[in-house]
Amino acid sequence: MTVRRKWAVIPGLFALAAVAVLLSAYQGAATRPDTIITDKGAWGYSAASSPQGRSPEQPIHFPHPTHVQTLGMNCLYCHYSANKSTDPGLPAVSTCMGCHLAIGPKRPAMGDRPAFESAELTKLQQYWNEKKPIPWVRIHHVPDYVNFPHMTHVNAGVTCQTCHGQVQQMTQVYQYASLNMGWCVNCHVGNVNPAWKARYDCSVCHY
Amino acid sequence: MTENSAPSGVGRREFLKILGAGSAATAAIGCSSDRVERLIPYLTQPDETVPGVSTYYASTCRECSVGCGVLMETRDGRTFKLEGNPDHPLNRGALCARGQAAVQGLYNPDRYRGPMIRKDDKLVPATWTEALQLLSQKLGEAQSAGTAGNALFINKHESGSFPVFLDRWLADFGMPAHLSYDSLADHAVLAANRQSYGVSWPSLSFSAAKLIVSIGADFLENWGASVPQQLDFADARAKLEDAPRFVYIGPRRSLTGCNADQWIACKPGSELAIAKALAGGSVESAAEASGVPAATLESLQKELAGAGRSLVLAGGSGAGALDLALAVNALNRQLGNVGTTVLPDQPITSFEGIATDADLRAALERMRAGQVSLLMLRGVNPLFTMPRAARVPEAIRAVPFKVSFSSYPDETSELCDLVLPDHHPIESWGDAQPLAGVISLQQPGMDPVYDTRQTADVLIDLAKGNQRTAARYTAANYMRWLIENFPGGTAAFTAGLQKGITSGSLPRAAAPAHVSNAPQAPAIDDTKGDFYLVVYPSPTLGDGSGANKPWLQELPDPVTKICWQTWIEINQQTARKLGIDSGDILHVETDMGELEAPAYVYMGIQENTVAIAFGQGHTAYGRYAEGVGYNPGNLLPVSFDAASGSLAWTATRAKVTKGTTFAPLVTTEGSARQHGRGIARSIPVDELPHLEMEHEEHDMPGKPDQSYLPGLRSRMAADAMGEVGDSPSRFQKGMYDPEHWSGMAKRRWAMTIDLARCTGCSACVTACYAENNIPTVGAPYQTTHTAFLHGVPGSNILKGREMNWIRLERYWEGGEDGGEFEPRFVPMLCQHCGNAPCEPVCPVYATYHSPDGLNVQVYNRCVGTRYCSNNCPYKVRYFNWFGYGEPARPQYAWPERMNWQLNPDVTVRGKGVMEKCTFCVQRIRESEHRAKAEGREVKPDEFTTACAQACPSKAITFGDAADDEWSVARMAQDRRAYHVFHEQLNTYPAVVYLQKVTHPAPKSAAGA
Repeated sequence: MTVRRKWAVIPGLFALAAVAVLLSAYQGAATRPDTIITDKGAWGYSAASSPQGRSPEQPIHFPHPTHVQTLGMNCLYCHYSANKSTDPGLPAVSTCMGCHLAIGPKRPAMGDRPAFESAELTKLQQYWNEKKPIPWVRIHHVPDYVNFPHMTHVNAGVTCQTCHGQVQQMTQVYQYASLNMGWCVNCHVGNVNPAWKARYDCSVCHY
Repeated sequence: MTENSAPSGVGRREFLKILGAGSAATAAIGCSSDRVERLIPYLTQPDETVPGVSTYYASTCRECSVGCGVLMETRDGRTFKLEGNPDHPLNRGALCARGQAAVQGLYNPDRYRGPMIRKDDKLVPATWTEALQLLSQKLGEAQSAGTAGNALFINKHESGSFPVFLDRWLADFGMPAHLSYDSLADHAVLAANRQSYGVSWPSLSFSAAKLIVSIGADFLENWGASVPQQLDFADARAKLEDAPRFVYIGPRRSLTGCNADQWIACKPGSELAIAKALAGGSVESAAEASGVPAATLESLQKELAGAGRSLVLAGGSGAGALDLALAVNALNRQLGNVGTTVLPDQPITSFEGIATDADLRAALERMRAGQVSLLMLRGVNPLFTMPRAARVPEAIRAVPFKVSFSSYPDETSELCDLVLPDHHPIESWGDAQPLAGVISLQQPGMDPVYDTRQTADVLIDLAKGNQRTAARYTAANYMRWLIENFPGGTAAFTAGLQKGITSGSLPRAAAPAHVSNAPQAPAIDDTKGDFYLVVYPSPTLGDGSGANKPWLQELPDPVTKICWQTWIEINQQTARKLGIDSGDILHVETDMGELEAPAYVYMGIQENTVAIAFGQGHTAYGRYAEGVGYNPGNLLPVSFDAASGSLAWTATRAKVTKGTTFAPLVTTEGSARQHGRGIARSIPVDELPHLEMEHEEHDMPGKPDQSYLPGLRSRMAADAMGEVGDSPSRFQKGMYDPEHWSGMAKRRWAMTIDLARCTGCSACVTACYAENNIPTVGAPYQTTHTAFLHGVPGSNILKGREMNWIRLERYWEGGEDGGEFEPRFVPMLCQHCGNAPCEPVCPVYATYHSPDGLNVQVYNRCVGTRYCSNNCPYKVRYFNWFGYGEPARPQYAWPERMNWQLNPDVTVRGKGVMEKCTFCVQRIRESEHRAKAEGREVKPDEFTTACAQACPSKAITFGDAADDEWSVARMAQDRRAYHVFHEQLNTYPAVVYLQKVTHPAPKSAAGA
């Protein structure tokens, strides 16, 4: 008696997987409106670092090159607590408006570039006028059971670019490093050049 | 199998292929981490905040009348921890369990979200505009109809400016002065003090006394100002040889009694006779009235007379309470204690202006008679705190319009027509006058959590809206009013906010006229019943206001170790006679009502007496209080000590019969006896000078020799680090080498716990819950779903799933035959053993010993084998059996917005993870990071653990035992030092206990 092989089973499962992946793509950030997501899923805590290379679209396309390279602003001007606290700090909208109250959306002609109306600065002005903080999308995330202190690293002389890449060149910020534990420990045990001296005991980060 | 059969269906290879394909498919779908998390910046940055660094605001605790100073640790606009204010002269940095639990009132998920108006006999949400308009209308009506004189405002008693402001406001509306009510105040003692000394509450100096005699005064619990009293008492006991002896006289050995060197059990109601005997009166008649052997009384009488400086305290409630308090005051004067241990010229002024229970009863009578047209209540719940026999619902319903300013739905506010929820004290402005000449300021730590408004601001708005009063209310809000009226003006106020205290005197509201027509409680022997009924306020729940805070519900009663339940204490001899075991349901009946609860057989209660703690049995106070326990107030008659106006809590006898069923006691206690294990050790004071180190010198904790400091450095640990044997890695200790550049191994974090100071109050337990995001597991909604124990509050605890990282163990010594017994308290926490039994057994290396002496638990590695907990001899490891830390799971311990209380520096553990005390490693690392950022070393005693910080006895000292400049290094060398289980199990703990010192009765004074 021959057995009718169910040859369609395996391809069928792959087809199912493909459909599921396609469908899950529609649950991405694009379809979710500007809601603040506090529920991190059924597990209640983030069990993984954010993925390397991720570059989500931000509510305002803030150009780091213009501000850092062209205008020469220091990272700490906006991310002001990176050398004082575990948290690097996010600039308040008032920090942006410090300049942009004067530098409004209607940009005048300058050199070869004609006058234009900046959509991004319009958005910024709108947020400020409506007294709404800008809901930036978080890019770099380490799991909740890791305590990463920015100030210790900054004060030790680790440049921002070491972990965050050449942010000053990124028109849209992406995650440069994997931020996983192996990558962190690599530096702490001195496998980089120049070798840092950093504690690598578990309880220094995991508590 | 038949000959020519081929396997039908799915064969083995097919199955594996499908499994593989299925897994691949699942992996492809399940690995999307495309979750969006937002970072919300400030619009405008407040000046003094640095994200990730806590800001501390100095304020005043309002959980009881006393007014200790607190620092509110605030991060990102949320206050998540209260700590004692070290600059406050009253509590000097300590904070009791109830103060710690205040944040659970702030974020309580059952708080009123906004105003409520009664429509169709139900309270429905309303806007502030509607609500204020309604009250404004009622006030206007009262003014025009001329019925304003019939209004009544009952406020929770507090000291400071608000009572004065309130009376002024009431007067402006033509209303009488308010009734300032505190259900826990000892009115008999207050009245007696006013008569004897002219002040309501003189300061008491326990450390100046040589002998302390407390006649029912539970000064470590709800009597007086418990935190300063405990601070002073612990300081007194820490003097060891010079410490005062403490004798407690009462029908029930309370927590305070458990800290006494001698408990004299007496019949309720006989305390006055005893006081007279101690003053030199007849010992025989006192012995007869009280049941105390005459020899004991005579011995104490002689001891008191010869003690030099002593301190006698009166407490208890019942008929004759004022007479007792006056007799004790006279006794103090006779013994020369006034000016040495009783200090009327340094009064505690927290209780000034307080109304008595009889005043409240008189108000209720007026309400019942229809003489009150408008009732306003703030912070009080008389429906619960007065006995059911007072028929408070009837009285309240007789008032045509009732307004509640309560923050929480409770039994009283449920009956009101209008609810204008007050801010929580953590959201409010105010001040207090706890000591003469000291003003304690109160400020908000954060923006309001819900749509509530501070009552004082509401009153100002109402006055502004009323044409008759508007002219007098020019301040924009209460904060402005406070500043305008503050002694020293804005400058003094702003300067005072920095430290939370300033010197000065606030004007006081006029002392209320007290009524004296309350029904007098009969002598207890004249009541019906065969058992004396003692009802006492719970040390953890107070008058029941703590019942909606899960930390306080989960905090085991310090004496019985029972939580989430009501129990009935009964003497063991009596129990044996009646065939009662712990857990048997007892039926208690008085003329007023009946109550059924499980028995707790207790050596510390008189024969033929039962005692029930007050505070449980709420019918409407939120999910943590409703349906938990029973209210003994249902058994009490409405009777008073008429002379002082204090409600008699111990006023009646009862009929007690054994019921037919059994209910397990929700207890965290393992064994009540040590069985010779040497966990809680004590030494009589006479033997103290001869005390030598019990162990070999090199085993003694705290010796400067690096090898045997507390924790680490055991033979086993040495082997693990390659020190033993010929292995070439013997010399490579890595980070464990004290000479390693990181310097981690130079530190040895250790802790000393002085059992001579520890009173068993359990403030450390609640402080630890607050600091370390420890879930509570006993709430009714967290019960098991199996038929057995379903719906029983605390069922998780019955299954041993409590999570308290530090627990107060209480052991009994002696008393098996009914004689004297000694209670001993031991805070037990992870000992951070140098030779930890838990470390080698973890299959995934989730727990290990760090170079600086900590036993570390890495949550993300833990797979939940639970072998570590199995191996721990101290049983200080706790497993997350359910998803207490996961919002989507039914047993989540922090329903919105309780999760705002979570400490951002500490991981919230998910299901399946083991946890335990970490020696507050987050504080250790925070201090190390800060020191590094400032380019210096961590200073000695720069920080401490949450438990040590909260302890009102200052019993716990934490720090680096390897560095002589830290206090703990010195304390660990004390001659009284010992380890628990070290000799038996070779664990090398980092926690050093200092033996308790007892003061037995002097043998020479013993009578024939």
